[in-house]
Parts: sequence; structure tokens; C-alpha cells
Amino acid sequence: MAIAEVEKQGVGVSMLRKEDDRLLRGRGQFVGDVRLAGMKDVAFVRSPIAHARVKGVHPPEDLRSQVVTAADLEGVKPIRAVSGLAGFKPSDQPVLAFEKVRQVGELLAMCVADTRAAAEDIAARVELDLEELPAVHDMIAARDKDAPLLHEDWGDNVFLETFVDVNIEAAFDAPIKITREIKTARQSMAPMEGRGTVAYWDKRMEQLVLISGSQMPHIVRTGLAECLGLGQHQVRIVSPDVGGGFGYKGILLPEDICLGWYAMRCGHPVRWIEDRREHLTAGANCREHHYVITAYADRDGKLRGIDCEATVDSGAYSSYPFSACLEAAQVASILPGPYDFPSYRCRTWSVATNKCPILPYRGVARTGVCYALELVLDAVAREAGLEPHEVRLKNLVQPDQMPFDNITRKHFDSGDYPEALQRAIEAIDVKAIRERQKRGEENGRLIGVGHSIYCEQGAHGTSVYSGWGIPMVPGHEQATARMTPDGGLELRVGVHSHGQSMETTLPQIAHEILGIDISKIKLVHGDTEYTPYSTGSWGSRCAVMAGGAVAAASRDVASRARKIGAHLLQVHVDDVELVGGRVKGPSGSVSLEEIAHTWYRLPQNLPDDVDPRGLEGTVGHKPKRDTGTFSYAAHAAVVAVDPENGDIEILDYVIVEDGGKLINPMVVDGQIYGGLAQGIGTALYEEMNFDSSGQPLASTFADYLLPGPTEVPAPRLDHMETVSPYTEFGVKGIGEGGAIAPPAAIGNAVNDALKDLGAELVRTPMTPRRVLEAIFAATNADSQDHSDRGGRT
Amino acid sequence: MSLSISLAINGRQHDVALNDPRVTLLDLLRERLDLPGTKKGCDRGQCGACTVLVDGRRINSCLALAASMDGAEITTIEGLAEGDELHPVQAAFIEHDAFQCGYCTPGQIMSAVGLIKEGMAGDDPERVRELMSGNICRCGAYQGITEAVLEAGRKAAENAQPQTGNPDTGKDAA
Ligand code: FES
Ligand code: FES
Repeated sequence: MAIAEVEKQGVGVSMLRKEDDRLLRGRGQFVGDVRLAGMKDVAFVRSPIAHARVKGVHPPEDLRSQVVTAADLEGVKPIRAVSGLAGFKPSDQPVLAFEKVRQVGELLAMCVADTRAAAEDIAARVELDLEELPAVHDMIAARDKDAPLLHEDWGDNVFLETFVDVNIEAAFDAPIKITREIKTARQSMAPMEGRGTVAYWDKRMEQLVLISGSQMPHIVRTGLAECLGLGQHQVRIVSPDVGGGFGYKGILLPEDICLGWYAMRCGHPVRWIEDRREHLTAGANCREHHYVITAYADRDGKLRGIDCEATVDSGAYSSYPFSACLEAAQVASILPGPYDFPSYRCRTWSVATNKCPILPYRGVARTGVCYALELVLDAVAREAGLEPHEVRLKNLVQPDQMPFDNITRKHFDSGDYPEALQRAIEAIDVKAIRERQKRGEENGRLIGVGHSIYCEQGAHGTSVYSGWGIPMVPGHEQATARMTPDGGLELRVGVHSHGQSMETTLPQIAHEILGIDISKIKLVHGDTEYTPYSTGSWGSRCAVMAGGAVAAASRDVASRARKIGAHLLQVHVDDVELVGGRVKGPSGSVSLEEIAHTWYRLPQNLPDDVDPRGLEGTVGHKPKRDTGTFSYAAHAAVVAVDPENGDIEILDYVIVEDGGKLINPMVVDGQIYGGLAQGIGTALYEEMNFDSSGQPLASTFADYLLPGPTEVPAPRLDHMETVSPYTEFGVKGIGEGGAIAPPAAIGNAVNDALKDLGAELVRTPMTPRRVLEAIFAATNADSQDHSDRGGRT
Repeated sequence: MSLSISLAINGRQHDVALNDPRVTLLDLLRERLDLPGTKKGCDRGQCGACTVLVDGRRINSCLALAASMDGAEITTIEGLAEGDELHPVQAAFIEHDAFQCGYCTPGQIMSAVGLIKEGMAGDDPERVRELMSGNICRCGAYQGITEAVLEAGRKAAENAQPQTGNPDTGKDAA
């Protein structure tokens, strides 16, 4: 019976989620649902201009007490997220702008009133005196000598330039040389819940309390305390239910600091709930990359080398804690993907422009990198007259090479990449598609098949991040496990769920070790007051790091419970085992309930030498190697492209993934579906455009198109399981992967469909207009060089 | 100028004096009547997070003026379950893992309840996707949502035959 329970609830079981009930009944508590007595609403005055000198910010005289400007914020430090990488130029992001504004939407004043509408009425009366400066909106032009400067003291607009060269000259004599200029659009993460903050001063605790939907409450506390000059014990961050984050809720916002500062002085709670316009125009930007990438290969498709210049539009400021160079610096290290080739060169620039700061979004730089590399590999295949998967199979790291140190010294822990690709090719049935292409479509549409493969570093730790020198370096991840007097268990972790189902999956791990029924295991997270310090939820790290810590803490409690149990059974501790929630001896057993009851309520029955730490333990965890787990997946897509109107329809989609041991396969499936939906958004719909004066052109969901149920097909999933040799249970981080490969797989399928027209699309999103432009360019200017297609606009 | 309206929400009568005629039904529910289960995702009728039933029909409450709701019967997510017993659509959402963060979920569920009542989707997943396309889920749980709506729809159709009442009317929950 007990054994059966273990099978139903432990690691590897697709349990239904514990968090579902309250969310389904509308009883979840998101930051916008928090109601506190006397709470007032905040509206911000934001810059309508992308680049300007601030000559004056004038609140209406009669409402001066309800308006805060930069002049009021004496002693408040700007947000400064440095990187230790050589040559990095730090920026100071003011909490409220004073000398200059550098992006549309930058904060200039905070207005407080009984309702948001009233606060907005005040904001509308604040007079701005701004002297417009020429804006920098194109990251390539931003590097020109005569470009206007965002941060004048820098002398240029480059946060960081990096360069790596591994014997690239050796590849120059390769018979195949393919160069493409590839761009990915700027995007917005657009979680359905935007950001929001409620702040108040807790008089009894003498503490500033910030309730804010955050993926990393402890990091926000550290950053906020430093900006406000407070001791960290004077700040408490509570992150309630979080309505999606995807990276956007992993940062410290100037809004948080403003509200914190005000709450310390005003004597009542204040709240700011980001509206969709603020989110789209002023808050959340990501993904904008530009590549000039060359592949060198032999005629048989064997790669000789990759040479790349990559530029990332980092926006106006370096945001806390990931810094402005996160994406570009990652590009250089992850561009080689899951492949093994001998020569490599990559130069990257993180460029400052008059846009809102770039932030990490699910998959971070990988989505762009995968798109660039996989597109150019397909171009190599076309040039060599080979099937694209044949080229990939020639170059993928082989399973017998694992663990494998690649050309940028990434340490791939385990996996069988060729097997994943082959399964995807078989499932999508490339042969049948080739036949169908030969037959043609009655309705004139063009069919294409494409695929892509990537590996994703997750849960990378100290050794990786210390080299970057950003304000946050993950060390040991800690968890507390504490038995309650009735035999239940509390788990406390510093990571925070924003949809990842941790209230179910982390208890599954504790159940695996202690056998306590999952209904009696409670996860406490999202509050700096109650949880151990953690860098939080990012980098596909929670299952590996927090999961490992929960396992370690559960084992710690289990060993002490066993000792008490053995004493109660009057046998030696070596003669008992903990199975299914009971400590069993040679002739009898005692339940964890009885053991907990004894520790808490009948201490007179404990042995004299009982461990005084009792049934509670905080334990830190690091995998055996902290260079990260490498989950991976092959995606394959079949599309139909209408050459008349440029429409793209996804006809079939296959994903073969390997995330090592899965704690809850149902939850992983959900993450993969969700990642795919976002990847389709990147591939086909989402684009945050700016005009030449730096004005954002998408301010509603009518301009910024999110994929809905009719845009996301039902994919076919196939799972492989290659455990990581370094982690608890062999798990790997997999939360981001679904969003990485779709633009490349769909892009390659589209280019396959267009290949007989000689057209090729090298930009996301692949909108109907761009499809038609590519066809037009191919049919009207046959002599045109490939690299002009999809070039700079 | 103050405007008085009287409306039934989840079976309870409310008399409300509106001091601002511009207040939306969504803000009325969330900010005045302590019913924050209905969510705001865009405030412009573009995401569906705010979907509620008004006289049995699904609408975006962010686009409806509270002042126009005099005499209306409204069902929100808070009024759907019968005590501990979940509404069949809610139960199907758990069973099919139809959400992750849960922020779009109240709107998805109310929209699904409305859709099943409309009886237009039948057993066709493509129709369900089409008729649920006003509800965006950024976590991308569309697969589970579609399956959940289909299953709840099938159950409602089965139950509609022998029984007198329709389990999917918002009023039943009152
Ligand atoms: S909040 Fe009403 S449709 Fe988005
Ligand atoms: S479950 Fe997160 S938006 Fe739908």
C-alpha cells in the first residue's frame, strides 16, 4: 500500500497540480488582487520622447504633495548593473530621470491619488520641459562614429565588445562558404499579468514591505536595499501568485524603488499596477539580434568553421541584475550549438540605443542563436545538394563523445543528439514530404519541411557566472525542510514559481525521500522573510537547484527521523529503513506522524543523545559539477506557404526532447507546449518596432500580436531520457527549451518551401509581407546577393 | 453626479452608487465589490482575461460600462463552483492541465462556460479553438484548454438529455 503511494506521488509521476484549485476558483492572489486599508494608487509621468535633455518637470502647484520628482529623491542611488567582463561600460539608470531621458516611457514623476484614474489625471497636469535630441534607434548605425551618444562620457554607444577566435584561418579554404545577414525582431515578453508593486512601511517590524510579482525576490531585496540605502533586514519582498514572468519579472524596476521610497514616508500603502501600454512601450523588450554569419564546410557537409559578427540591441540602460551584455556575451559562447567543428570566430557588440533596456526572455540568446546557425546550416545543405538533416548528422556531437567540452569550453553533460534528430526526421516523415512536394498542391501553396536542434545550458552556477561578474552569482541553493507536529512537512525555498508548478513538483521530490503524502507537504516560497536566500527562478534552474536542495534537506530530516524511530522501536538505527512514510525495523514500524509527535510533544520519550536540531534542516546544494545541465531537443515542422498572399500555415509539428529524468512529465509537457507557443510568436507574429525617432509602434495587443489558440498547432511530442551524471535524480533544466527552436524549424521549413523560387527569408517574424518581399526580391533581382535579402531596414 | 444601479452578481443582489460614470464592469467587480477573481490583462478587449457572463452570455467586462449593467445578472469565476464541488469546466481544466500561471484561467473558464452554453462548437477541436480565440494564454496552454473545453462540452451534452436543468447556466451557480 505504502509502496503504491510512493509510485503515485514521487519523482517521475504525472501528478495533477496542487496549485490548481485556488487558481481555478479565482482565489489566486496576484499583486493586483492585494487590498490594504488606506492604499493609494500610483500613475507615472513617462517621457514621451526617446532622447531629450530634461529642462524641467513641473507638478501642478495645488497638487505638489501628491507628486514626486527626481529632486525629491535625495540620497536614492541609480540602478547600476555592472559586468566584470573587460571593457564593460556601466550605465546609471536613474529612478526618476533628471538630466536626460534615454527612452520613451522613462520615468519622470510619480503621482499618487485615491484611484489610478485620479492619479492619471494628476500625471496629465505635470508639465514637462524636454529638449529633444537625435535618437539612436538602429543598433548598427549606433556604432557609427558620428552617431548621437546616449551616455556621453562613454565616447561611443557600446556597452561591451567581445571577441573570440579559435583558428578561424584554417577554415578559409573550405569549398563551401555561405554568408547570411540574419535579424530577429525586438519583442516583448508580455505575460498576461504585467508588473505591479504594493509597498508599505511595517511599523512594528520597522521594515519596508514590497509585494511584487517577482521571479527573484531575494535579488530584488538586495538591489532595492542598496538603492534606498537600507539594511537588507529592513526590506521584505513578498512575491504572491505570479501571472507568468518569462524573464520580465526577474529584474529590479525603478518603479519598485520609487514606491519603496514613497511608502517609507507617506504613512499608507501605495500600489502601482502596470497597464498593458506601459508594459509594451516602456517595460519589456527582448530578443533583438543582428548576425552576419558565415559557415565554412566541405562538399560532404562537414563543417570546417563558423565565423560571426553579432550585435544585440541592448537598449538604454544595463538592467539589474543581468546587465546589458547578457545576451551578446552569451551569443559568443553558445553559437556553436550542439555541433563539433574545429574553427570558430565570433565578435559581439552590446549596443546602447534609445529603447527600453533589453531583458532576458525565455531561452535568452539561444532563440536568436539557434535561428541564425540553423538557417545557415540549411543554406549549406542546399549548396551541397544534401538533405539538411544529413548535414546536421555529420556535425552533431556524438553520444560516445559525452561528456564533451565544445569549442567554447561548454561542458555538455550527457545526451544523444543524433538520435533525437533522427526520431524527429522519421516522425515528420521527410520522405513523404519530398514526394508531396513533387506532386505539388492543387491550391498552389508551397509545402516545406524544416527542422532545428539545440542544446540548452540550464542551472549553470558559480563557475559560469563568477566570470561574468554581474551583481548576482548563484552559489549553493538552499532549502529548508521542517516536519510539523502532525507529521506533515513544510518546504521553504528561495526560488519562486510563476507558472512552473513548483507547489507540486518540489513536494514530489520530498515525497520520494520521506514518503509523506503530498497533500501534507506545503511549499513556502515567494517571501524573503520565510525562505533561504536564492538568486531565484531563471536559467531553467529550479528543478536542478531547488529540487536538489529539497532532496538534500529531506534526506537530512529523514536521517534524524530514522534515529528517533529506531529509538522508539528499541532497535539500532542501522536496522531501520524509511519506507512509505514509516520507519521500519526488523519486527515493527513507527509512522512519521508518531515520530513528529514525539519530537514536538512528547520529548520525554526521546533518546538522551537525540540530535537537538530535531526534524528541521536547512541544507545547501550544488550539483557535482556546476557548469550546467544540457537538455536538448529536435523540432521539425511542415508548413504550407501561400505565394499569392504570403500566408504561412503550420501543418505538422514534432518535438523530440530530452530533459533527463522528468520530475513530473505532465508539467514538462505543459512547459514544452507553452514554449512552442511563444516560439511560434517569435517566428511568425511578434514584433516591437520603433520609428526613427525612437517611438515604439506597438502599444496594444492589436499591434503586438500574441499567438492565440488558432495559431498554435497541437504538436506531437516524443521524450528521450538521458540522465545528467551531475544532478539529483539526473534531472536537467528544461523550462525554456520549447521557445528556442521553433523560429529556426519554421524558418527552415519556409525556406524549403521557397527554395524552387530561389527565395529565402532571414528575418523574424516571418510575416506575410516579408514572405512576399522575399519572393519578389528573388523573382525580380536574380543577380542580387543573398546577403541583401532581409537586410537592414 | 452619482448614478445608482442594481445588479445580481453570483446570485447576490448589489445596489451600487457610481460616483464616476466611466467605471467599467471589470473595475467595479475588482475594485469596489471585492471580487478580484476576474482578471485584467489589457483593459481593451484584446485578451479575454476579464471574461464574465452577463445574463448567460460571455463578455469582456473591461469593455462594459458598469452603468449599463442595471438589472443584469452576472456570473464571475467566484460564483461558478457549488461550494467544494467544482463546475465541470473547472474540473476539466485540472484534468487536462489547461493552465500554468493561472492568470488567464478565470477568463478562459468563463469563456468556455459561455461557449458550451452557446452550443456552437460541438465536438470539433478546430471550432473550439476558433470560438475560444478571444482568450489569450501567454503560458501557451491551448492544447489543454482545447481538450478541457471539448470534454466539458461532451459532458454537458450528455447531461442535457436526461436532466431538466442545464448544468452550464451561470444561474445554477447562484
Ligand atoms: S482585460 Fe478585458 S479583454 Fe483584456
Ligand atoms: S496560464 Fe498563464 S496565461 Fe494562461
